[in-house]
Amino acid sequence: MTVNYKSVFDIIGPIMIGPSSSHTAGACAIGRAANSIFQETPTDIVVHYYESFAQTHKGHGTDYAIISGILGFEPDDSRVPYAIGLARDQGINITFIEEPEDSPINHPNTAIIELSNSKDGKEVTIAGCSIGGGTIEIRGIKMNGFDIKPKGPLPILLVPGSEVDQQNVTDQLSALTKVNEKKQYQSAKGDLFEYDLDRRLKPEEVKELAKNNTNLVYL
Amino acid sequence: MYMSVAELVDAAKKTKKPIYELVIEQEMDTSHNTREEIWDAMGRNLDIMAASVKKGAEGEGVFSKTGLTGGEAVKIKNYRSDKKTLSGDLMMQAVQNAVATNEVNSSMGVICATPTAGSSGTLPGMLFTLKDRLDLTRDQMIQFLFTAGGFGMVLANNAGIAGATGGCQAEVGSASAMGAAAAVEIAGGTPEQSAEALAMAISNLLGLVCDPVAGLVELPCVKRNAIGVGNALIAADMALAGCTNKIPADEVVAAMDKVGKGLPSTLRETGLGGLAATPTGVRMKEKIFGKSVEAKA
Repeated sequence: MTVNYKSVFDIIGPIMIGPSSSHTAGACAIGRAANSIFQETPTDIVVHYYESFAQTHKGHGTDYAIISGILGFEPDDSRVPYAIGLARDQGINITFIEEPEDSPINHPNTAIIELSNSKDGKEVTIAGCSIGGGTIEIRGIKMNGFDIKPKGPLPILLVPGSEVDQQNVTDQLSALTKVNEKKQYQSAKGDLFEYDLDRRLKPEEVKELAKNNTNLVYL
Repeated sequence: MYMSVAELVDAAKKTKKPIYELVIEQEMDTSHNTREEIWDAMGRNLDIMAASVKKGAEGEGVFSKTGLTGGEAVKIKNYRSDKKTLSGDLMMQAVQNAVATNEVNSSMGVICATPTAGSSGTLPGMLFTLKDRLDLTRDQMIQFLFTAGGFGMVLANNAGIAGATGGCQAEVGSASAMGAAAAVEIAGGTPEQSAEALAMAISNLLGLVCDPVAGLVELPCVKRNAIGVGNALIAADMALAGCTNKIPADEVVAAMDKVGKGLPSTLRETGLGGLAATPTGVRMKEKIFGKSVEAKA
């Protein structure tokens, strides 16, 4: 069985601005995942909605929630409802598209986010779904030429570098948590490893890991 | 991690520990946080719940941007003080607390999702009513939330808690079941009785559809939390009286998962079926999202 809800605070929580945990808090979480991967302010944001997200995003505040996450806000930040205006004030172009077909990642609450920066040409695509109560899965990431297809449940750790470079990550992780799955991806730029972790890491634990691997992404 | 109701009940019996204690221990194990950190985090959730129960019933009450919902927690409060209620003051206090919380949610106020925002009124509705009824201390209220959360994890990992995948039974149904099970424990019932309360609460709401008018978490979501809390009180009382569900809790949870998967997508948070598809529901949607509104956005 897939264990998506690993903490009692996934059930009692999050503290959030209403009205919908899957369409607002969850959308914010997908945006935050995109923010963690992109690691800079984009010039252009394109959001593709599917199924329930496509039908009800306006009513649920999904638009501002997703943008607030991309800007790095927490779901209970009082700026959440104003995120679209705040982003446009920074000169960010935002497009929302209601896709008529079924979700390509097979979930009714799907958002696919494309972030780009016209100044440096950086582009990433993140496919996420909101599975209820503010909890999300990330089922697709395109970055740096890698086409990453995680199983979905978080936490996920992405570490660029060769098999040899991964030794210290593996060593450090073994002291912290069980690795449910380790997958290798290849691109013209080298290798990248995806670790599906059994428990959520504390911020200080992620910082410690990042000391040796400055380009890692923790979702 | 406790993956079934039976595992949780068995562990409580074997260790002679309350369920909330097992849930706290599980959280310490998975998060590597201290007991104090975990306890304080739940205390913050409790404070947010207390604030929303209060805010929704103060003054004129709170109103959503669309005007579809709001002000009814205050109506219930006034009715309680002016008239003799039919179902008793305790029941209507629970309904008031639940409606107040969900009106705050619909007005884009701050709430604690339990387990979701759409069902965020059910558990506080229960808890703040039991607080007065049973003279609960702050510590007991926090214990209630851990027990409710522990059962909620089992529901979420086995059947899901999203209206878009399982209908409202997965949201208000889960919240009601969590509240019923936790209420039994705090009232001095056995772990088995908590499981029976959970099973009865879900059984009574099995098949409840998710049909938000205009796709908004307003109609019928706010009042669905009233039935969530009423059902939780009834299921908890029946379990404490010694009634049993006959179908075991874990089988009920599995049935909820199957029923949810069998619901057509029109009844899973698309705003295309049920009350959302009534002539009035459609008119409301057109009024809110008509051309004039889109032009402004």
